[in-house]
Amino acid sequence: MKRTAKSLEEMLGPIPERIKREADLSFQISDRIYDLMQERGLSKKQFADALGKRPCEVTKWLSGQHNFTISTLAMLSAFFGKSIISV
Amino acid sequence: MSEVELFLIKDGENCTIYTLQFLRDMESEFEKFIAKFRDDAEYSEDYARIAAFVTRIARTGALERYFRNEGKMSDSVVAIPVTSSKLRLYCLRLSDKILVLGNGGVKKTRRYEDDPILNGYVMTLQKFEELLRREVANGNVNITESTIETDNIFEL
Repeated sequence: MKRTAKSLEEMLGPIPERIKREADLSFQISDRIYDLMQERGLSKKQFADALGKRPCEVTKWLSGQHNFTISTLAMLSAFFGKSIISV
Repeated sequence: MSEVELFLIKDGENCTIYTLQFLRDMESEFEKFIAKFRDDAEYSEDYARIAAFVTRIARTGALERYFRNEGKMSDSVVAIPVTSSKLRLYCLRLSDKILVLGNGGVKKTRRYEDDPILNGYVMTLQKFEELLRREVANGNVNITESTIETDNIFEL
């Protein structure tokens, strides 16, 4: 199997620290929401219906790439009765 | 006919990442994408987010929910990001542990099919997957849980 001459990190080049942290936080939040959905046995459609949202909104939340507002995080935390992030 | 080879970029615990390179080119498809957008005044921040996603996916796996479905129902072509950026990186997500990074660009039309350049990137991945699956069926290529084992040259 041939390998590229450069490693993935060399290819990508430096990524600004704030964007790395943003991506890490967003993935952690989406993984947390996914785990809580699994705990409750909720499909994407059931979850969206329960919150009065469209399934495409849930797709964004679970993508690891969504920029969550405090309002959305509070709503999700209230729905599950558990914290989504801790400060 | 264009001849293309598969190159390994990173073999991580949770995801093995590949790219394609045409024999006529000096750079892989993914490197061509990087060269276009890493220092682009308008899209360098969107590029940095995609770079951060790819780094994260290499660590955690190419889970289906991290990608936007593109291509057709019958293929494995996906794109990142899912969110609002117009910049798209097209990939072939063969499993949670196998990802082939392709080329990409700025999506200015509603459908990628309406942009001949983006359509070309997607078609390259679609044709490669078709040939890869044919070679697997013929016993010439082996796909394990997390790797594609081939030194073949594919004629797209």
